[in-house]
Amino acid sequence: MSRERLQNLIPVLLIALALAGFVLHRAGWLAPVEGLLIRASVPLQDGATSVATWFGEVSQTVGDLRDLRQRNEELEAENAGLLLELVRLREVEAEAVLMRDLLNFAQAHPSFDLQGAHVVGRVIGRDPSNLQRYITLAAGREEGIERNMPVVTDRGLVGRISEVGDGWSRVLLIIDTSSLVNALTQSTRASGLVQGQADSSLAMLRIPQGDIVSVGDTVSTSGLGGTFPRQIPIGQIVEVSRKDYELYQSAVVQPTVDFEHLEAVLVITDFETVGDKASEEQDQ
Amino acid sequence: MTIYLIIPLLVVVALLQATVIPHLTVLGVFPDLPVIVVVCWGLLAGAREGLIWGFIAGVAVDLLAGAPFGAATLALSLVGFLSGMSGPIAVRARFILAMLVVFLATIVYDLLFMLIVQISGQAVAWLENLARIAIPSAALNAMLTPIILGALHLLRNRFGREEMEW
Repeated sequence: MSRERLQNLIPVLLIALALAGFVLHRAGWLAPVEGLLIRASVPLQDGATSVATWFGEVSQTVGDLRDLRQRNEELEAENAGLLLELVRLREVEAEAVLMRDLLNFAQAHPSFDLQGAHVVGRVIGRDPSNLQRYITLAAGREEGIERNMPVVTDRGLVGRISEVGDGWSRVLLIIDTSSLVNALTQSTRASGLVQGQADSSLAMLRIPQGDIVSVGDTVSTSGLGGTFPRQIPIGQIVEVSRKDYELYQSAVVQPTVDFEHLEAVLVITDFETVGDKASEEQDQ
Repeated sequence: MTIYLIIPLLVVVALLQATVIPHLTVLGVFPDLPVIVVVCWGLLAGAREGLIWGFIAGVAVDLLAGAPFGAATLALSLVGFLSGMSGPIAVRARFILAMLVVFLATIVYDLLFMLIVQISGQAVAWLENLARIAIPSAALNAMLTPIILGALHLLRNRFGREEMEW
């Protein structure tokens, strides 16, 4: 048989073989052979499946890593936002506590007309000179503030307005050496003058020798002179100096107000003075 | 040294005085950086420049302070001028002299400051302030003088010893 004829017969033979196999499979005669082949191919299939599974898992992991990285970035951004919000809310909470304390003071003193004000540059806090003790407020003429008006917090007396502008004012603190406040001790009603000292403390001076003054006594404004209303807390006596040969005794007073951390204050824009009250009583 | 360098420098000095310096308290007082700087420059560069530095620094301090405006300006100008009158000094040999001048200048500055505050209508506790503020702060200023004087001397050498340009 020539080579060419053989070449032409191969497709025919292959088709015949396929048909034969189909017929034999339908007849069930190929089952043993098929079983053998399947048993032989199982390890190969398992191997191939493992490799495919491995590639699948790697690909899945890469995809997961990308997703996780993105999710992590989103969560970090969210966390940063939440932290900022937390800081802001804590500030709001602190401000609310401060305002509540000032409101309590206002409610406890219904006869006072009050104007709230924030201390400017509260982080700074101090005057640049050793000789002066001032703070600046972010409120001025427009808010009804005038010179010499008293300034307080819920803790007590801060000072008085020394200078006013549009939208700002300066407060001479009671711890300034040029500040003088008429005062009384709460328990024994001993009178005196509270003056600021160089070390930012207070001294109660010109207390008559006959008056009883003790450590722990609360000192508050007497209202005399009309600059400050009565009964605003100033501080507490921590030391008494009494010499028999002197006309007056004196005391060191620890202020109730923390002057290093003033944030918001109240300016008393109107109040009933001791003189007003006396006139009222006289008219009655 | 050009005015365009002096003004920002002295503004920074005034800002430091209003922000950082009050927290560096020793025995109830803190240093007066503008006073030290102005007096030291007066000693290095003479009366005219001491006066100008005092004026610029004083304006900056007055803008930040609660005292009547002009108190620091007048006091620092005068102190800068007076310190310069002792003539330019050779820095290396005269630290002790500079410390003494700063000590005295601080007391003069504080007395002038109190006088101006009193004239403008505020009460002043003269003896209390002199004994418990002026003298201790003068001593503190004197102790810091060598550092400031050395720094200004370097600055002057770096930016030229010629008289201030406008």
